Amino acid sequence: MLPFSLWSAQEDIQSRLEQECFRCHEKQKIPSEAIYRRYLLKYSSRETIRRKIFGYLSHPSAQRSIMPPQFFNKFAIKAPSDLDEKQLHELIDAYIAHFDIAGKLRILPQE
Amino acid sequence: MYRSEKRSLFRFLAIYLVSTLILFSAGSYIFYVFEKHHLLDLQRESVKHEGEKIQHQLIRLQSTFRPTLPIYLENGYDIALLDIDKKLIFSNFDLPKDFDFTQEYQLRSEYMIYNKPIDPYYLGAAYMIIRMTVDQSGIANLQKMILMFMLSGGVFFSVLGYFLGRMFVAPMRESIEMMNRFIQDTTHELNTPISTILTNLELMETLEKCDAKSEMQRIEIASKTLSRIYDDLTYLRLNQNYHREIRPLDLSRLLQERLLYFAVAIEAKRIRLMTQIDEEIIVEIDREDAIRLIDNLLSNAIKYNKTGGILEVKIDPIELSVKDSGVGIPQKELGTIFDRFKRANRSEGGFGIGLNIVYQIVQAYKYRISIDSEPNIGTEVTITWQK
Repeated sequence: MLPFSLWSAQEDIQSRLEQECFRCHEKQKIPSEAIYRRYLLKYSSRETIRRKIFGYLSHPSAQRSIMPPQFFNKFAIKAPSDLDEKQLHELIDAYIAHFDIAGKLRILPQE
Repeated sequence: MYRSEKRSLFRFLAIYLVSTLILFSAGSYIFYVFEKHHLLDLQRESVKHEGEKIQHQLIRLQSTFRPTLPIYLENGYDIALLDIDKKLIFSNFDLPKDFDFTQEYQLRSEYMIYNKPIDPYYLGAAYMIIRMTVDQSGIANLQKMILMFMLSGGVFFSVLGYFLGRMFVAPMRESIEMMNRFIQDTTHELNTPISTILTNLELMETLEKCDAKSEMQRIEIASKTLSRIYDDLTYLRLNQNYHREIRPLDLSRLLQERLLYFAVAIEAKRIRLMTQIDEEIIVEIDREDAIRLIDNLLSNAIKYNKTGGILEVKIDPIELSVKDSGVGIPQKELGTIFDRFKRANRSEGGFGIGLNIVYQIVQAYKYRISIDSEPNIGTEVTITWQK
Protein backbone atom coordinates (compact mmCIF):
# COMPACT_ATOMS: atom_id res chain seq x y z
CA MET A 1 0.00 0.00 0.00
CA LEU A 2 2.89 2.39 0.87
CA PRO A 3 4.49 2.59 -2.61
CA PHE A 4 1.08 3.23 -4.10
CA SER A 5 0.38 6.08 -1.65
CA LEU A 6 3.82 7.58 -2.42
CA TRP A 7 3.17 7.32 -6.13
CA SER A 8 -0.23 8.83 -5.59
CA ALA A 9 1.22 11.76 -3.62
CA GLN A 10 3.84 12.29 -6.33
CA GLU A 11 1.14 12.36 -8.97
CA ASP A 12 -0.78 14.81 -6.90
CA ILE A 13 2.10 17.26 -6.45
CA GLN A 14 2.93 17.06 -10.15
CA SER A 15 -0.61 17.89 -11.14
CA ARG A 16 -0.71 20.75 -8.66
CA LEU A 17 2.62 22.05 -10.02
CA GLU A 18 1.14 21.85 -13.50
CA GLN A 19 -1.97 23.63 -12.43
CA GLU A 20 -0.45 26.28 -10.15
CA CYS A 21 2.73 27.09 -12.06
CA PHE A 22 3.34 25.62 -15.49
CA ARG A 23 -0.09 26.27 -16.98
CA CYS A 24 0.23 30.02 -16.60
CA HIS A 25 3.91 30.02 -17.65
CA GLU A 26 3.12 28.06 -20.77
CA LYS A 27 0.26 30.34 -21.60
CA GLN A 28 2.50 33.40 -21.34
CA LYS A 29 5.38 31.53 -23.06
CA ILE A 30 7.75 32.05 -20.16
CA PRO A 31 9.81 28.79 -19.96
CA SER A 32 9.99 27.58 -16.38
CA GLU A 33 13.22 25.62 -16.90
CA ALA A 34 15.01 28.71 -18.24
CA ILE A 35 13.92 30.61 -15.13
CA TYR A 36 15.28 27.82 -12.92
CA ARG A 37 18.62 27.96 -14.81
CA ARG A 38 18.71 31.70 -14.09
CA TYR A 39 18.28 30.90 -10.38
CA LEU A 40 21.06 28.33 -10.59
CA LEU A 41 23.34 30.75 -12.39
CA LYS A 42 22.82 33.45 -9.78
CA TYR A 43 22.49 31.60 -6.46
CA SER A 44 23.91 28.08 -6.97
CA SER A 45 22.63 26.87 -3.58
CA ARG A 46 19.30 24.98 -3.57
CA GLU A 47 18.47 26.41 -0.18
CA THR A 48 18.98 29.98 -1.36
CA ILE A 49 16.99 29.30 -4.52
CA ARG A 50 14.15 27.88 -2.42
CA ARG A 51 14.19 30.96 -0.19
CA LYS A 52 14.33 33.40 -3.11
CA ILE A 53 11.42 31.75 -4.99
CA PHE A 54 9.34 31.68 -1.83
CA GLY A 55 10.12 35.37 -1.22
CA TYR A 56 9.07 36.29 -4.72
CA LEU A 57 5.88 34.21 -4.72
CA SER A 58 4.80 35.57 -1.35
CA HIS A 59 5.50 39.20 -2.21
CA PRO A 60 6.13 39.52 -5.96
CA SER A 61 8.11 42.57 -7.12
CA ALA A 62 10.60 43.41 -9.85
CA GLN A 63 13.37 43.65 -7.20
CA ARG A 64 12.64 40.17 -5.84
CA SER A 65 12.37 38.63 -9.28
CA ILE A 66 15.19 36.69 -10.95
CA MET A 67 14.19 38.28 -14.26
CA PRO A 68 15.82 41.52 -15.46
CA PRO A 69 13.82 44.84 -15.04
CA GLN A 70 13.23 45.01 -18.82
CA PHE A 71 11.24 41.78 -18.54
CA PHE A 72 8.50 43.63 -16.68
CA ASN A 73 8.10 46.13 -19.50
CA LYS A 74 6.50 43.28 -21.40
CA PHE A 75 5.04 41.18 -18.59
CA ALA A 76 3.10 42.34 -15.59
CA ILE A 77 4.17 41.37 -12.11
CA LYS A 78 2.13 38.40 -10.98
CA ALA A 79 -0.31 38.64 -8.15
CA PRO A 80 0.79 37.31 -4.72
CA SER A 81 0.09 33.62 -4.33
CA ASP A 82 -2.97 32.69 -2.36
CA LEU A 83 -1.45 29.35 -1.35
CA ASP A 84 -0.36 28.90 2.22
CA GLU A 85 3.28 28.64 3.23
CA LYS A 86 3.30 24.87 3.43
CA GLN A 87 1.74 24.43 0.01
CA LEU A 88 4.15 26.95 -1.47
CA HIS A 89 7.17 25.15 -0.05
CA GLU A 90 5.90 21.80 -1.33
CA LEU A 91 5.42 23.23 -4.80
CA ILE A 92 8.82 25.01 -4.77
CA ASP A 93 10.54 21.75 -3.77
CA ALA A 94 8.67 19.96 -6.54
CA TYR A 95 9.69 22.67 -9.02
CA ILE A 96 13.35 22.38 -8.04
CA ALA A 97 13.20 18.57 -8.22
CA HIS A 98 11.47 18.74 -11.61
CA PHE A 99 14.13 20.87 -13.27
CA ASP A 100 17.17 19.89 -11.25
CA ILE A 101 20.18 19.17 -13.44
CA ALA A 102 21.82 16.45 -11.26
CA GLY A 103 19.80 13.67 -12.84
CA LYS A 104 20.38 14.99 -16.34
CA LEU A 105 24.17 15.23 -16.34
CA ARG A 106 26.04 12.40 -18.05
CA ILE A 107 29.75 11.79 -18.49
CA LEU A 108 30.73 10.73 -21.99
CA PRO A 109 34.23 9.93 -23.24
CA GLN A 110 35.88 12.61 -25.34
CA GLU A 111 35.93 11.61 -28.98
CA MET B 1 102.48 -0.31 0.15
CA TYR B 2 103.49 0.64 3.72
CA ARG B 3 100.93 0.19 6.49
CA SER B 4 100.83 3.89 7.36
CA GLU B 5 100.55 4.71 3.65
CA LYS B 6 97.63 2.30 3.32
CA ARG B 7 95.96 3.79 6.39
CA SER B 8 96.37 7.33 5.05
CA LEU B 9 95.01 6.24 1.66
CA PHE B 10 91.92 4.69 3.29
CA ARG B 11 91.34 7.78 5.42
CA PHE B 12 91.70 10.04 2.43
CA LEU B 13 89.35 7.85 0.38
CA ALA B 14 86.81 7.75 3.21
CA ILE B 15 86.79 11.54 3.63
CA TYR B 16 86.79 12.11 -0.12
CA LEU B 17 84.03 9.61 -0.90
CA VAL B 18 81.82 10.59 2.04
CA SER B 19 82.08 14.30 1.22
CA THR B 20 81.49 13.57 -2.48
CA LEU B 21 78.52 11.38 -1.59
CA ILE B 22 77.03 14.09 0.62
CA LEU B 23 77.57 16.70 -2.07
CA PHE B 24 76.13 14.48 -4.80
CA SER B 25 73.18 13.40 -2.68
CA ALA B 26 72.32 16.99 -1.86
CA GLY B 27 72.73 17.99 -5.52
CA SER B 28 70.71 15.02 -6.76
CA TYR B 29 67.98 15.66 -4.20
CA ILE B 30 67.66 19.30 -5.24
CA PHE B 31 67.68 18.27 -8.91
CA TYR B 32 65.04 15.58 -8.20
CA VAL B 33 62.77 18.00 -6.34
CA PHE B 34 63.03 20.61 -9.12
CA GLU B 35 62.47 18.08 -11.90
CA LYS B 36 59.58 16.44 -10.06
CA HIS B 37 57.99 19.84 -9.61
CA HIS B 38 58.52 20.51 -13.28
CA LEU B 39 56.86 17.20 -14.25
CA LEU B 40 53.97 17.86 -11.88
CA ASP B 41 53.68 21.41 -13.25
CA LEU B 42 53.22 19.94 -16.72
CA GLN B 43 50.45 17.70 -15.37
CA ARG B 44 48.91 20.65 -13.52
CA GLU B 45 48.85 22.51 -16.82
CA SER B 46 47.04 19.63 -18.52
CA VAL B 47 44.43 19.28 -15.73
CA LYS B 48 43.91 23.04 -15.81
CA HIS B 49 43.44 22.88 -19.55
CA GLU B 50 40.86 20.10 -19.07
CA GLY B 51 39.10 22.31 -16.52
CA GLU B 52 38.86 25.13 -19.08
CA LYS B 53 37.33 22.73 -21.61
CA ILE B 54 34.74 21.48 -19.11
CA GLN B 55 33.84 25.04 -18.10
CA HIS B 56 33.15 25.84 -21.75
CA GLN B 57 30.87 22.81 -21.86
CA LEU B 58 29.05 24.03 -18.71
CA ILE B 59 28.52 27.46 -20.31
CA ARG B 60 27.00 25.75 -23.33
CA LEU B 61 24.87 23.39 -21.19
CA GLN B 62 23.55 26.31 -19.12
CA SER B 63 21.29 27.16 -22.05
CA THR B 64 20.70 23.59 -23.24
CA PHE B 65 17.26 22.25 -22.34
CA ARG B 66 17.37 18.57 -23.14
CA PRO B 67 16.56 15.52 -21.04
CA THR B 68 20.31 14.71 -20.76
CA LEU B 69 23.21 17.10 -20.43
CA PRO B 70 26.41 15.35 -21.62
CA ILE B 71 29.86 16.36 -20.36
CA TYR B 72 32.69 15.04 -22.51
CA LEU B 73 35.75 14.01 -20.52
CA GLU B 74 39.23 12.92 -21.60
CA ASN B 75 40.27 9.46 -20.45
CA GLY B 76 41.95 9.49 -17.02
CA TYR B 77 39.90 12.42 -15.69
CA ASP B 78 36.98 12.44 -13.22
CA ILE B 79 34.79 15.34 -12.30
CA ALA B 80 32.67 16.59 -9.39
CA LEU B 81 30.45 19.67 -9.38
CA LEU B 82 29.50 21.34 -6.08
CA ASP B 83 27.25 24.26 -5.28
CA ILE B 84 28.20 27.33 -3.29
CA ASP B 85 27.38 25.49 -0.01
CA LYS B 86 29.84 22.77 -1.14
CA LYS B 87 26.96 20.35 -1.56
CA LEU B 88 27.53 17.79 -4.26
CA ILE B 89 25.54 18.37 -7.45
CA PHE B 90 27.16 15.68 -9.55
CA SER B 91 30.27 13.52 -9.52
CA ASN B 92 31.68 10.35 -11.03
CA PHE B 93 34.16 9.75 -8.20
CA ASP B 94 34.20 9.93 -4.39
CA LEU B 95 35.47 13.29 -3.30
CA PRO B 96 37.66 12.97 -0.16
CA LYS B 97 35.76 14.05 2.95
CA ASP B 98 38.67 16.16 4.14
CA PHE B 99 39.05 17.92 0.81
CA ASP B 100 40.60 21.37 1.25
CA PHE B 101 38.74 23.91 -0.88
CA THR B 102 41.35 26.61 -0.22
CA GLN B 103 43.97 24.78 -2.26
CA GLU B 104 44.00 24.84 -6.03
CA TYR B 105 45.95 21.58 -6.42
CA GLN B 106 46.22 18.61 -4.10
CA LEU B 107 48.11 15.35 -4.42
CA ARG B 108 46.25 12.34 -3.01
CA SER B 109 48.10 9.03 -3.45
CA GLU B 110 48.21 8.48 -7.21
CA TYR B 111 45.78 11.33 -8.01
CA MET B 112 46.12 15.02 -8.57
CA ILE B 113 42.93 16.91 -7.64
CA TYR B 114 42.30 20.31 -9.15
CA ASN B 115 39.80 22.71 -7.62
CA LYS B 116 38.42 25.30 -10.01
CA PRO B 117 35.96 27.84 -8.61
CA ILE B 118 33.27 28.86 -11.15
CA ASP B 119 31.59 32.25 -11.26
CA PRO B 120 28.88 32.78 -12.45
CA TYR B 121 27.52 29.44 -11.35
CA TYR B 122 26.79 27.63 -14.62
CA LEU B 123 24.23 24.89 -13.89
CA GLY B 124 24.55 25.96 -10.23
CA ALA B 125 28.14 24.71 -10.00
CA ALA B 126 30.32 26.96 -7.83
CA TYR B 127 33.22 24.49 -7.64
CA MET B 128 34.48 22.16 -10.30
CA ILE B 129 36.76 19.45 -8.91
CA ILE B 130 38.76 17.50 -11.46
CA ARG B 131 40.65 14.38 -10.48
CA MET B 132 43.47 13.15 -12.67
CA THR B 133 45.61 10.04 -12.34
CA VAL B 134 49.19 11.26 -12.02
CA ASP B 135 51.49 9.91 -14.70
CA GLN B 136 54.19 8.31 -12.52
CA SER B 137 56.32 7.10 -15.44
CA GLY B 138 58.12 10.44 -15.79
CA ILE B 139 58.93 10.52 -12.06
CA ALA B 140 60.00 6.85 -12.14
CA ASN B 141 62.29 7.62 -15.10
CA LEU B 142 63.71 10.56 -13.20
CA GLN B 143 64.40 8.39 -10.15
CA LYS B 144 66.03 5.77 -12.37
CA MET B 145 68.16 8.41 -14.08
CA ILE B 146 69.33 9.88 -10.74
CA LEU B 147 70.12 6.40 -9.42
CA MET B 148 72.16 5.61 -12.53
CA PHE B 149 73.90 8.96 -12.25
CA MET B 150 74.72 8.32 -8.58
CA LEU B 151 76.01 4.82 -9.35
CA SER B 152 78.15 5.86 -12.30
CA GLY B 153 79.30 8.95 -10.38
CA GLY B 154 80.16 6.71 -7.43
CA VAL B 155 82.26 4.40 -9.61
CA PHE B 156 83.95 7.33 -11.38
CA PHE B 157 84.74 9.20 -8.16
CA SER B 158 85.93 6.03 -6.43
CA VAL B 159 88.44 5.41 -9.24
CA LEU B 160 89.39 9.09 -9.34
CA GLY B 161 89.65 9.14 -5.53
CA TYR B 162 91.94 6.11 -5.60
CA PHE B 163 94.33 7.78 -8.03
CA LEU B 164 94.12 11.10 -6.20
CA GLY B 165 94.76 9.24 -2.96
CA ARG B 166 97.83 7.59 -4.44
CA MET B 167 99.04 11.05 -5.48
CA PHE B 168 98.14 12.36 -2.03
CA VAL B 169 100.21 9.75 -0.20
CA ALA B 170 103.08 9.75 -2.71
CA PRO B 171 105.09 12.44 -0.82
CA MET B 172 104.63 10.43 2.36
CA ARG B 173 105.86 7.33 0.59
CA GLU B 174 108.89 9.25 -0.64
CA SER B 175 109.54 10.50 2.91
CA ILE B 176 109.28 6.99 4.32
CA GLU B 177 111.58 5.63 1.63
CA MET B 178 113.98 8.49 2.23
CA MET B 179 113.98 7.81 5.96
CA ASN B 180 114.56 4.10 5.37
CA ARG B 181 117.42 4.90 3.01
CA PHE B 182 118.81 7.40 5.50
CA ILE B 183 118.75 4.90 8.35
CA GLN B 184 120.34 2.28 6.11
CA ASP B 185 123.05 4.70 4.96
CA THR B 186 123.65 6.00 8.49
CA THR B 187 124.16 2.56 9.95
CA HIS B 188 126.45 1.68 7.06
CA GLU B 189 128.32 4.98 7.28
CA LEU B 190 128.84 4.64 11.01
CA ASN B 191 129.70 0.98 10.78
CA THR B 192 132.70 1.50 8.43
CA PRO B 193 134.79 3.86 10.65
CA ILE B 194 133.80 2.03 13.85
CA SER B 195 134.87 -1.30 12.33
CA THR B 196 138.09 0.34 11.09
CA ILE B 197 138.86 1.63 14.60
CA LEU B 198 138.07 -1.68 16.26
CA THR B 199 139.97 -3.77 13.73
CA ASN B 200 143.08 -1.60 13.93
CA LEU B 201 143.01 -1.54 17.72
CA GLU B 202 142.76 -5.33 17.68
CA LEU B 203 145.66 -5.54 15.24
CA MET B 204 147.75 -3.30 17.45
CA GLU B 205 146.99 -5.48 20.47
CA THR B 206 147.58 -8.76 18.63
CA LEU B 207 150.81 -7.77 16.94
CA GLU B 208 151.99 -5.74 19.93
CA LYS B 209 153.51 -3.28 17.56
CA CYS B 210 155.23 -0.31 19.14
CA ASP B 211 155.34 1.62 15.92
CA ALA B 212 151.86 1.10 14.58
CA LYS B 213 151.91 4.13 12.30
CA SER B 214 149.62 2.85 9.53
CA GLU B 215 147.07 1.50 12.05
CA MET B 216 147.07 4.79 13.92
CA GLN B 217 146.62 6.62 10.63
CA ARG B 218 143.54 4.48 9.80
CA ILE B 219 142.15 5.05 13.29
CA GLU B 220 142.66 8.78 12.87
CA ILE B 221 140.84 8.81 9.51
CA ALA B 222 137.97 6.73 10.92
CA SER B 223 137.67 8.93 14.01
CA LYS B 224 137.64 12.08 11.91
CA THR B 225 135.00 10.55 9.64
CA LEU B 226 132.85 9.80 12.68
CA SER B 227 133.42 13.29 13.99
CA ARG B 228 132.41 14.82 10.66
CA ILE B 229 129.28 12.68 10.46
CA TYR B 230 128.36 13.84 13.93
CA ASP B 231 129.04 17.49 13.02
CA ASP B 232 127.02 17.28 9.81
CA LEU B 233 124.04 15.63 11.49
CA THR B 234 124.16 18.13 14.37
CA TYR B 235 124.35 20.98 11.89
CA LEU B 236 121.29 19.68 10.03
CA ARG B 237 119.36 19.12 13.22
CA LEU B 238 120.20 22.55 14.67
CA ASN B 239 119.97 24.41 11.41
CA GLN B 240 116.55 25.94 12.24
CA ASN B 241 117.70 27.40 15.55
CA TYR B 242 121.40 27.82 14.87
CA HIS B 243 122.68 31.21 15.97
CA ARG B 244 125.34 32.47 13.59
CA GLU B 245 128.19 34.65 14.78
CA ILE B 246 129.09 36.40 11.58
CA ARG B 247 132.44 38.13 11.77
CA PRO B 248 135.46 38.63 9.46
CA LEU B 249 137.23 35.31 9.05
CA ASP B 250 140.51 34.52 7.39
CA LEU B 251 139.31 31.86 4.94
CA SER B 252 142.82 31.21 3.59
CA ARG B 253 144.00 30.18 7.01
CA LEU B 254 140.92 28.13 7.75
CA LEU B 255 141.25 26.37 4.39
CA GLN B 256 144.85 25.43 5.20
CA GLU B 257 143.78 24.16 8.63
CA ARG B 258 141.08 22.00 7.10
CA LEU B 259 143.45 20.65 4.43
CA LEU B 260 145.73 19.64 7.25
CA TYR B 261 142.75 17.98 8.96
CA PHE B 262 142.13 15.93 5.79
CA ALA B 263 145.84 15.35 5.15
CA VAL B 264 145.79 11.79 6.44
CA ALA B 265 142.77 10.87 4.29
CA ILE B 266 144.38 12.51 1.25
CA GLU B 267 147.57 10.66 1.86
CA ALA B 268 145.77 7.35 2.44
CA LYS B 269 144.16 7.61 -0.98
CA ARG B 270 147.45 8.79 -2.54
CA ILE B 271 145.77 11.88 -3.90
CA ARG B 272 147.98 14.61 -5.32
CA LEU B 273 146.97 17.89 -3.71
CA MET B 274 147.43 21.06 -5.74
CA THR B 275 146.64 24.29 -3.95
CA GLN B 276 146.55 27.90 -5.06
CA ILE B 277 145.72 29.79 -1.90
CA ASP B 278 145.92 33.57 -1.82
CA GLU B 279 146.94 34.97 1.53
CA GLU B 280 144.50 36.67 3.92
CA ILE B 281 141.20 36.22 2.16
CA ILE B 282 138.87 37.78 4.71
CA VAL B 283 135.18 36.93 4.42
CA GLU B 284 132.30 37.82 6.76
CA ILE B 285 131.06 34.38 7.79
CA ASP B 286 130.31 32.28 10.84
CA ARG B 287 133.26 29.99 11.61
CA GLU B 288 131.13 26.83 11.98
CA ASP B 289 129.42 27.56 8.62
CA ALA B 290 132.80 28.04 6.96
CA ILE B 291 134.11 24.76 8.41
CA ARG B 292 131.02 22.84 7.27
CA LEU B 293 131.28 24.42 3.80
CA ILE B 294 134.98 23.62 3.31
CA ASP B 295 134.84 20.19 5.00
CA ASN B 296 131.96 18.97 2.88
CA LEU B 297 133.58 20.17 -0.35
CA LEU B 298 136.94 18.59 0.58
CA SER B 299 135.32 15.41 1.92
CA ASN B 300 133.34 14.88 -1.29
CA ALA B 301 136.37 15.63 -3.44
CA ILE B 302 138.41 13.03 -1.51
CA LYS B 303 135.66 10.45 -1.20
CA TYR B 304 134.66 10.44 -4.87
CA ASN B 305 138.23 10.89 -6.17
CA LYS B 306 140.16 8.10 -7.79
CA THR B 307 143.00 6.51 -5.83
CA GLY B 308 146.06 8.44 -6.97
CA GLY B 309 143.88 11.19 -8.39
CA ILE B 310 144.28 14.97 -8.25
CA LEU B 311 142.66 17.43 -5.87
CA GLU B 312 142.89 21.11 -6.80
CA VAL B 313 141.95 23.70 -4.21
CA LYS B 314 141.97 27.39 -5.10
CA ILE B 315 140.93 30.47 -3.16
CA ASP B 316 141.17 34.09 -4.23
CA PRO B 317 139.32 37.26 -3.20
CA ILE B 318 136.35 36.29 -5.42
CA GLU B 319 135.83 32.57 -5.06
CA LEU B 320 136.74 29.21 -3.65
CA SER B 321 136.92 26.19 -5.89
CA VAL B 322 137.51 22.52 -5.20
CA LYS B 323 138.17 20.25 -8.15
CA ASP B 324 138.62 16.51 -8.12
CA SER B 325 139.43 13.91 -10.74
CA GLY B 326 136.80 11.48 -9.57
CA VAL B 327 133.70 9.69 -10.82
CA GLY B 328 131.83 12.91 -11.68
CA ILE B 329 128.10 13.54 -11.66
CA PRO B 330 125.81 12.63 -14.58
CA GLN B 331 124.32 15.73 -16.28
CA LYS B 332 120.71 14.71 -15.48
CA GLU B 333 121.52 14.58 -11.74
CA LEU B 334 122.96 18.08 -11.58
CA GLY B 335 119.53 19.75 -11.22
CA THR B 336 118.70 17.86 -8.02
CA ILE B 337 122.17 17.38 -6.60
CA PHE B 338 121.51 19.82 -3.74
CA ASP B 339 118.41 17.96 -2.45
CA ARG B 340 118.77 16.47 0.99
CA PHE B 341 119.61 12.74 0.97
CA LYS B 342 120.31 12.97 -2.74
CA ARG B 343 123.09 10.69 -3.82
CA ALA B 344 124.10 10.93 -7.44
CA ASN B 345 126.65 8.21 -7.05
CA ARG B 346 126.41 5.21 -4.78
CA SER B 347 129.93 3.99 -5.39
CA GLU B 348 130.93 5.39 -2.00
CA GLY B 349 129.19 5.58 1.36
CA GLY B 350 127.38 8.71 2.50
CA PHE B 351 124.03 10.21 3.37
CA GLY B 352 123.63 12.66 0.58
CA ILE B 353 123.59 15.56 3.02
CA GLY B 354 127.00 17.09 2.23
CA LEU B 355 126.02 19.18 -0.78
CA ASN B 356 122.70 19.99 0.87
CA ILE B 357 124.58 21.58 3.78
CA VAL B 358 126.84 23.44 1.33
CA TYR B 359 123.78 24.69 -0.54
CA GLN B 360 122.06 25.83 2.67
CA ILE B 361 125.14 27.84 3.68
CA VAL B 362 125.44 29.34 0.19
CA GLN B 363 121.75 30.32 0.35
CA ALA B 364 122.09 31.79 3.83
CA TYR B 365 124.95 34.09 2.75
CA LYS B 366 123.51 34.72 -0.71
CA TYR B 367 126.64 33.29 -2.37
CA ARG B 368 126.61 31.65 -5.75
CA ILE B 369 127.50 28.03 -6.36
CA SER B 370 128.31 26.33 -9.63
CA ILE B 371 129.08 22.70 -10.35
CA ASP B 372 130.95 21.67 -13.41
CA SER B 373 131.13 17.93 -13.75
CA GLU B 374 131.78 15.22 -16.27
CA PRO B 375 131.40 11.54 -15.51
CA ASN B 376 134.76 9.75 -15.05
CA ILE B 377 136.69 13.00 -15.49
CA GLY B 378 135.87 14.92 -12.35
CA THR B 379 133.87 17.61 -10.62
CA GLU B 380 134.62 21.24 -9.87
CA VAL B 381 132.54 23.09 -7.29
CA THR B 382 132.96 26.86 -7.18
CA ILE B 383 131.60 29.14 -4.46
CA THR B 384 131.58 32.81 -5.35
CA TRP B 385 131.00 35.33 -2.56
CA GLN B 386 131.97 38.48 -4.44
CA LYS B 387 129.00 40.03 -6.24
